[in-house]
Amino acid sequence: MFKSPKTALVFVLSACLTTGAVYAETKYQIGTPATAVEIAGWDIDIRPDGTGLPAGSGNAIDGEETYEIFCASCHGVFGEGEGRWPVLVGGEGSLADERPVKTVGSYWPYASTLFDYIRRAMPFAAPMSLDDQQVYDITAYVLYMNDIVEEDFELSRDNLAQIVMPNEDGFFIDDRPDVQNPRCMDNCADPDKLMMKGSLAGVTPIGHFVEGADAPAASHSGQHDLEATKEAERKASITGETAVTAVVSEPAAMSQAAEAGESTYKAACGVCHTSGLAGAPKMGDMSAWVERIQQGNDVLIRHALEGFSGNTGYMPAKGGRADLSDEQVTNAVLFMVESQH
Amino acid sequence: MTTPSTTQLLQTMQDASEHLTANDRREFLRRGVSYVAGAAAVGGASIATASGLSSNLPPNEPQWGRQLGTGVVENPYGLPSRHESQVVRRTVPWLTAESISSISMSPIQDLKGIITPNGLVFERYHAGVPDINPDEHRLMIHGLVDNPLIFTMEDLMRFPSVSEIKFIECPANGGMEWRGPQMEALQFTHGMLSCCEWTGVPLKVLLDAAGIQTAGKWILAEGADGAHMSRSIPIEKILDDTLVVYAQNGEMLRPEQGYPLRLLNPGWEGNTSIKWLRRIEVGDKPWHHREETSKYTDLMEDGRARRFTFVQECNSVITSPCPENPIRRKGFLEIEGLAWTGRGKIRGVDISFDGGVSWRPARLKGLVLDKALTRFSLSTQWQGEPWLIQSRAYDDTGYVQPTLAQLREQRGVNSIYHKNSIHTWQVAPTGEVKNVQIT
Repeated sequence: MFKSPKTALVFVLSACLTTGAVYAETKYQIGTPATAVEIAGWDIDIRPDGTGLPAGSGNAIDGEETYEIFCASCHGVFGEGEGRWPVLVGGEGSLADERPVKTVGSYWPYASTLFDYIRRAMPFAAPMSLDDQQVYDITAYVLYMNDIVEEDFELSRDNLAQIVMPNEDGFFIDDRPDVQNPRCMDNCADPDKLMMKGSLAGVTPIGHFVEGADAPAASHSGQHDLEATKEAERKASITGETAVTAVVSEPAAMSQAAEAGESTYKAACGVCHTSGLAGAPKMGDMSAWVERIQQGNDVLIRHALEGFSGNTGYMPAKGGRADLSDEQVTNAVLFMVESQH
Repeated sequence: MTTPSTTQLLQTMQDASEHLTANDRREFLRRGVSYVAGAAAVGGASIATASGLSSNLPPNEPQWGRQLGTGVVENPYGLPSRHESQVVRRTVPWLTAESISSISMSPIQDLKGIITPNGLVFERYHAGVPDINPDEHRLMIHGLVDNPLIFTMEDLMRFPSVSEIKFIECPANGGMEWRGPQMEALQFTHGMLSCCEWTGVPLKVLLDAAGIQTAGKWILAEGADGAHMSRSIPIEKILDDTLVVYAQNGEMLRPEQGYPLRLLNPGWEGNTSIKWLRRIEVGDKPWHHREETSKYTDLMEDGRARRFTFVQECNSVITSPCPENPIRRKGFLEIEGLAWTGRGKIRGVDISFDGGVSWRPARLKGLVLDKALTRFSLSTQWQGEPWLIQSRAYDDTGYVQPTLAQLREQRGVNSIYHKNSIHTWQVAPTGEVKNVQIT
């Protein structure tokens, strides 16, 4: 990709610049100058050399609590990853193994990427909601869990770029094409030496074209149900009890408020309440909802607005979405309650 | 259990075919027919007659010829026929934790020509589809430029527009099969692939307007969605053919494809074509963000990884027959498929019926365009013989699509991305098609 001589590139670029200036001044003049304030608001990226880091600092001691509130429900208390969510910790020395484990510690080349990604995209259901202090704290804690910094290390704008990640030298620039296949037309292989391998059965959702196909679910909610059923059957086989099968009934009519809450549910609440993450009661799991509903809507709404730590799980205030209005959260709770029939 | 050689295997299948009774053959053909008839019956229009034939068939006048249909603007935005309801995007749920950061595949087994209809273009989101008001959407260009600029959608559409037909493909297309075949459908083996006519402005025109400085060697492109998806792109690509697009196949972008604005890096891995594009920063070095370090890097057998693996190399697959499109009739058969390369144009495609021992050239048909899907075809006869059928494309750089064995030898089986190897379908004497690998 970068095989062209550098001089040629510079030539092309400067030729373009010259004509570009003419375009801008004499031809288009489209667009508005971006002000320093506008740029500062959107310029969120961080580079390996530390460019872009905000003022401030943080450490793993403070980071532990912040991590448990915002991160552990998906990534696990020890960074081990819940379900199919990304594993953050471990895997050192595994990259050449048959089953490599790619984590922040074993794979990521730069610490800056961690700060950048947490700030731009995490927590999953409420991106751009953490302040710089929280991002520094969580970054320090994830580095600490990977034995890259000490627990009391004060991570800051001045020292983040100096952190050397274990796999920094583990990458090389794309050198494809890496194979050359001649365009042979006859006797290209010895048929007696060719081996054929068939598909694993039962992992493709092909019920749409194969009659009676023993195929897995075609949707994520279907997949969750399938796995829940299998888990219930497994537990039943251990305890000897009969597995409770969900009874599917016609949905009852909803209140207007509940209907209005559906969009908030989908955008904010569904991440945990569809999958049961962080011990959240799952939509449609009646056994998880019966006792909660008995407490009355006022209690459930208060817990949703203010946050709640129960025996089975943890509900951050507004699910970590401070941007949602009280009304939006209330309507989403009503949507969930009225869906459990 | 030992794996049979292909010679043994083809012989076994041939023997099995000879022992099929006439009833078996009729049974298979009947099933093929009932599949089609079943789809039609869902429409509820046909009435079985005493002879078992639909009253809509000759010599009868069909029902729709004896009544009026619906009027204009019944569907102000038209929809496909209800008899085509099986032609939809599909996902493999166990691939990802949930549907918001996930992927769906285009039904390429059902598509014709080279253009993917907008509603069937494959989806890949990292934080779901945002609902963006175009009046409030902005593109900011800043960094190593003389004049940082902000563009409204109206601004961008004032520039002279270009329209180009380009494919877009996720580098993970086929990535589930490095260790062995496991997807029993073309939609799941190759469906992270679509091709549209895209309309917009070359990014270099916008960068010229901002006055890019000589130190500017890379750009960072960033989305306005919850993932704020970001990728570093070298300036050489932008001077070559990167577009900022607002329309696909004649209408404004679909929300799933980045409405109201996305980047398009023709021939490069799909994730570099940042959707819901809101910001371009010019810099002197790459940013090494999460989606170009932790993800979208290719782990080799020795534990080292390739990075900035942008190009989607030459690839092809037979779309008919395939598991979803078994051969239903003996006799004339047109074999069809799709070929594409991120390095330029497809120059040709060869087809093998014997697992890659011998090859015959296919014909390219329709448009053959730079970095676009290209359709190929070979007319033949099928009399129930078993096939191990493959396609092998080559492009105008001379690169020939490799075998899986060649890729594995270079890369091992843990690189996830960029598996562009020759694909094999096993056609049984019944006409059924299975996904297999020949090594």
